[in-house]
Amino acid sequence: MPSNPFPLAKSQLLQAYRTMRTIREFEERVHVEFAKGDIPGFVHLYAGEEACATGIMMHLTDIDRIASTHRGHGHCIAKGVDVHGMMAEIYGKEAGSCRGKGGSMHIADLSKGMMGANGILGAGAPLICGAGLAAKFRGDGGVGLTFFGDGASNQGTVLESMNLAAIWNLPVIFVVENNGYAESTSVDYATAVDSYVDRASGFGLPGVTVDGTDFFAVYEAAGEMIRRAREGGGPSLLECKMIRFFGHFEGDAQTYKAKGENEHNRATRDCLKMFAQRVTEGGVVAAAELAVIDREVASMIDDAVSTAKGAPLPIAGDLLTDVYVSY
Amino acid sequence: MKPVIGIIANPVSARDIRRVVANAASLQIADRANIVLRVLAALAACGIEQVLMMPDRGGIAGHVMRGIERSRNQGEHRFPSIFYLDMPVTGTVDDTHRAARLLRKAGVAAIVVLGGDGTHRAVVSQCTTIPITGISTGTNNAFPEHREPTVTGLATGLAVMERVPRGTAFAPNKMISVTVGDRTDIALVDAAFVTDGYAGARAVWRIHTLRELFVAFADPEVIGLAAIAGLIEPVSRRTSGGLMVRFAPPQEAPMVLGAPIAPGLIEAVGIDDWRRMPAGVAFAPTLGSGSVALDGERELSFSQRDEVAVVLTDNAFLTVDVAAVMKFSAIHGLMRQTHDRYTESLT
Amino acid sequence: MARNISFKQAINEALDLEMRRDPTVIILGEDIVGGAGSPGETDAWGGVLGVTKGLNAKHGGRLLDTPLSESAYIGAAIGAAACGMRPVAELMFLDFMGVCFDQILNQAAKFKYMFGGKAKTPVVIRAMVGAGFRAAAQHSQMLTPIFTHVPGLKVVCPSNAYDAKGLLIQSIRDDDPVIFCEHKNLYGLETDVPAESYAIPFGEANVIREGKDVTIVGYGLTVHRALEAAEKLAKSRVEAEVIDLRTLSPIDLDTVIESAEKTGRLVVVDEANPRCSIAADVVAAVSQNAFEALKAAPQMVTAPHTPVPFSPVLEDLYIPSADSIAAAVSRITKTALAA
Repeated sequence: MPSNPFPLAKSQLLQAYRTMRTIREFEERVHVEFAKGDIPGFVHLYAGEEACATGIMMHLTDIDRIASTHRGHGHCIAKGVDVHGMMAEIYGKEAGSCRGKGGSMHIADLSKGMMGANGILGAGAPLICGAGLAAKFRGDGGVGLTFFGDGASNQGTVLESMNLAAIWNLPVIFVVENNGYAESTSVDYATAVDSYVDRASGFGLPGVTVDGTDFFAVYEAAGEMIRRAREGGGPSLLECKMIRFFGHFEGDAQTYKAKGENEHNRATRDCLKMFAQRVTEGGVVAAAELAVIDREVASMIDDAVSTAKGAPLPIAGDLLTDVYVSY
Repeated sequence: MKPVIGIIANPVSARDIRRVVANAASLQIADRANIVLRVLAALAACGIEQVLMMPDRGGIAGHVMRGIERSRNQGEHRFPSIFYLDMPVTGTVDDTHRAARLLRKAGVAAIVVLGGDGTHRAVVSQCTTIPITGISTGTNNAFPEHREPTVTGLATGLAVMERVPRGTAFAPNKMISVTVGDRTDIALVDAAFVTDGYAGARAVWRIHTLRELFVAFADPEVIGLAAIAGLIEPVSRRTSGGLMVRFAPPQEAPMVLGAPIAPGLIEAVGIDDWRRMPAGVAFAPTLGSGSVALDGERELSFSQRDEVAVVLTDNAFLTVDVAAVMKFSAIHGLMRQTHDRYTESLT
Repeated sequence: MARNISFKQAINEALDLEMRRDPTVIILGEDIVGGAGSPGETDAWGGVLGVTKGLNAKHGGRLLDTPLSESAYIGAAIGAAACGMRPVAELMFLDFMGVCFDQILNQAAKFKYMFGGKAKTPVVIRAMVGAGFRAAAQHSQMLTPIFTHVPGLKVVCPSNAYDAKGLLIQSIRDDDPVIFCEHKNLYGLETDVPAESYAIPFGEANVIREGKDVTIVGYGLTVHRALEAAEKLAKSRVEAEVIDLRTLSPIDLDTVIESAEKTGRLVVVDEANPRCSIAADVVAAVSQNAFEALKAAPQMVTAPHTPVPFSPVLEDLYIPSADSIAAAVSRITKTALAA
C-alpha cells in the first residue's frame, strides 16, 4: 500500500479530479454547443483555469460565500452548484439555476454560498466585504472570497474593498485570477504595478502569488489563507497565475494571442494533465481510476446538455415575476 | 577589454505563503530596481563600463532603464552601459537558470544576484565557475549577506577590476548536493527532510514535519531553518564541513530550541541529536518518504523506492568577500582620487 | 397630549426601535457615529446633521463608520443583506450616488430577478435629498426619478416626521432594497409622533387636504409648498385637494386618479428636474387612465432643467414655490388669484 505524500486523502484527490474534470467537460461542451448556435447571449469559458477554483473551493463549506466573475462556470461547479441547473440556465430554460432569468453571466445559488457570477467586473468585491461583515456579526467562522481577473483588479470597487476589508479586518480573500489578458489587453499594459502582491501590501493586506495551474500550490496556499481568515487573522490577497484556453468570450478570434499560444498551453500547462500525472506518479491513484471519472463526467455532462435542450422554456408570465419580494 | 559584470534580479521572489504565515515582507518592484541602480552606479564608479542583465517582465528592467534615462537626460554619467541577455522570459525560475548559463558562456567576471536564497541557489546550480555577489530581496535570506547594496556593488567592482588580490577579494563557499534516484539538486545553505511529500506552496513553516537538517554553515544571526543549526553550534562559512541535525517531537526531545524559522516566526523545535557534517561524505536520511526542502523550499519528493544521498562539498564556488574588499580598500586607499581625476569627473 | 418631535428625531427613533427589535439591523455610513480614530469624543457627530446621534451609545458595535468608499461600503451593505442581515447604509447625499450606482442598479436591484427569485436583499439606503440649504449643485439634487425608474428598487420620500418614522420602520422590515430619501430641509420640522413603533405601508398616498376643484400632488418638501398654495387658493375660493405620494415606488396612482376624476384638474409638483421626472410619470399615468375626466391639461410644477444654483436668490427661484403652484392652478381653473 503506497503511502500518500499528498495533503489530501485519496478520496479527496479523486474528488478534486472529478471537480476539475467536470469544469473542463462542461466548458468544452459549452464551447461546442455555442458554436452550433444553440446557446443565446454570451458565454465566457473557464477551461484551463480549473485548478484555481478547485484548489480553493475544497476548503469551503456552504456557509462560506464566494462572488464570481463573468467567467463563473468554474466557480459555480467547484462551489457545488448543480450542474444540470447550470446547463439549463445557460440554455435559458425554466429549469435553470435562475429559472432562465439570469443566464451564463448571472448563475447563482445562495443556498450554496454562491453569490453569483457577475456581469459587472469588480462588483463582487464590495459584496464579499458584506458577506465577511455578516460572518463576523454571526460569529460562525465563515469566510468570503471574491474572484476577479487581472483586468478587473483595476476597478475602483476592488481597491476600495481591499482598504475596507483591511480596516475592518474582514474574513475575506481577494483572489486575482491573472490569466494575462483583460479581454484582449495584456496585464503588462493595463496594470502599473508589476505584482498584485505589491498592491495588496499597499493596502495593508499580505499577498501571495502561486502558480494557478498547480492544484497543490493553490490548495496549500489557499488553505492557509482561509484558515487564517476564519481564525480572525483578517483579509489577504491570493494571486493565481493561470491560463485560459479559450478567448475572452466565445466568438473571440483571439488574434491578440501569439501564434500557437493556445496549442502550446494545452500541451504544456494543462492543469488537469499535470494533476493526473502527479497523483498517478505518486502511486496514490491509478490511471484507470481517473479514466472512470472521465467517463462518468462525460456522461453526466452529456445528460445535462440533452436534458437542458429538452427542458421547457419560461412562460410569458415569468417575465413579470420576482422583481420584488412583494410590491 | 574591461571586465563585464552580470546582474540577475528576480522580480518574482518574496511573494510566497510566508507573507501570510509569518511577517515576511515583499520588496516592491520599484525598490528592487532602485537597488539595481545603486549597484550599477557603484560599478560605474569602479570603472566598469558594461553590464549584462537578465531581462524580466516583472517590471525591474523597465524601472531600471527609466532611471538610467532620467539620469542621462540630466547630463550625468553615473551608469555603465546595460545590455540585456537575448533570451525568452517565462517569469519562472527557468529565467534565472538560463540567465546564469548565458552569463557563464559570456565570461562575465562576476554575477550580482538580487533575490532570496532560492534565486541564489538557482544561479549557482547553473554556474559555479564565476564568483557571485548576493543581495537579499527575498523572504529567506540566509545566504546573501545583509548590507547596503551600494557597498556590495563597490566591492564587486573593485574585486573584478583586480584592485584587490584574488585571495582577499573572493571567498570559497560550501554547497550541499542532494540526489534522489537520478535527480540531483543543490542547496547553498540547508537541505531539510520533511514529511510533506509534495511541493505545494513550497515554503516550510510547519515545524512538526521536519525530520532532518543538513546545513553548509550554521550562522546564529540568520533566520530560516539554518537558524536552528546556528543556535545549536555555529559553523562559519569558511570552515570545512557543516552540521547535521535530527529532530524529535518537542515533548520527547532531549532539547527544545526556540528558533526564528521565518520572518517574525519563532517556533519551538525538538532537537534529538546533532553533529558536524564532514565534507565529501554521502549521508542517507532516515526518513523513508517525504520531500527535501532546499534552502527552505520543498523541491524533491522521494519514497522508499528512491535512493537518497546528501553530500557537502567544500570550495564549491566563490563569492565576493565584500567586508574584506572594503577593508583592504580603506587600508590601501583604493578610493582615493588624484586631483586630475576629480577635475575630469566634473566635466 | 401632542408629542412633537422633529423629522430628524423621528428617523433616529425609527432606527433605535428597529435595532432593538432586530439584531440583524446594523448601520453603516460616513461619520454616522463620528470621531472614529480621532482623539476627541466618539459619537462626535452622530451623522453630518446629527440624525444618528446617540445610537452608538445604545447599540455600540452595530454602527460602523466607513471610509470615503461608497462603492465599497454600499456594496458591503448590499452583500451583507444578501447574506441575511438588514443593513441600513447611509449615502450621505443622494447626489453621491454616482460613485456607487452600480452596486445599487446592477447588483441590489437585480439579484432577486436574475437569480430566479432565489435571493433577498433587504437593504435600506438612506440619503439626504433636496435644495434650499444653499449647498449648491452637487449636494442639493432631487434624484428620485432615477431610482424610481429602476425595477427592483423601492423609493420612499416622506414629507413629515410622523411619516418618516413609520416609513423608515417599514423600509427596514421590507425585504426589498429601499432608497429612503430624507429632505434635508425638513429635518427640523416638528410633528406629533407617537413614541411606540408603527409601520406605514408602501404604495399608500396620503390625502392631506380635501378639495373639489383641483388635485395637487407632491412629495417631500413640495407637499408643504402645495399646502401653502392651497391656503392662498382658498382665499380665491378654489379648494385644492393635496395628496402626498409618500412612496414613489411603489406609487399609489389609484388615489391620484380617483382624485383627478373627482376634481378634473391636476397639478403635480416635483422638486426634481422636469425631464423624466416623477411629475411627468404621474401626469402620463393620469392622462392615460382618466383622460375623459380631465377638464384641463395636467400641469407640472418642477425645478427648471438646470443644476441647483448657489446664490440664495437663484436657489429660491429653482425650488417650486407656493406661488408657482398657485399660478399653475390659477391657469387651469381660469381663476384670478385674490391678492
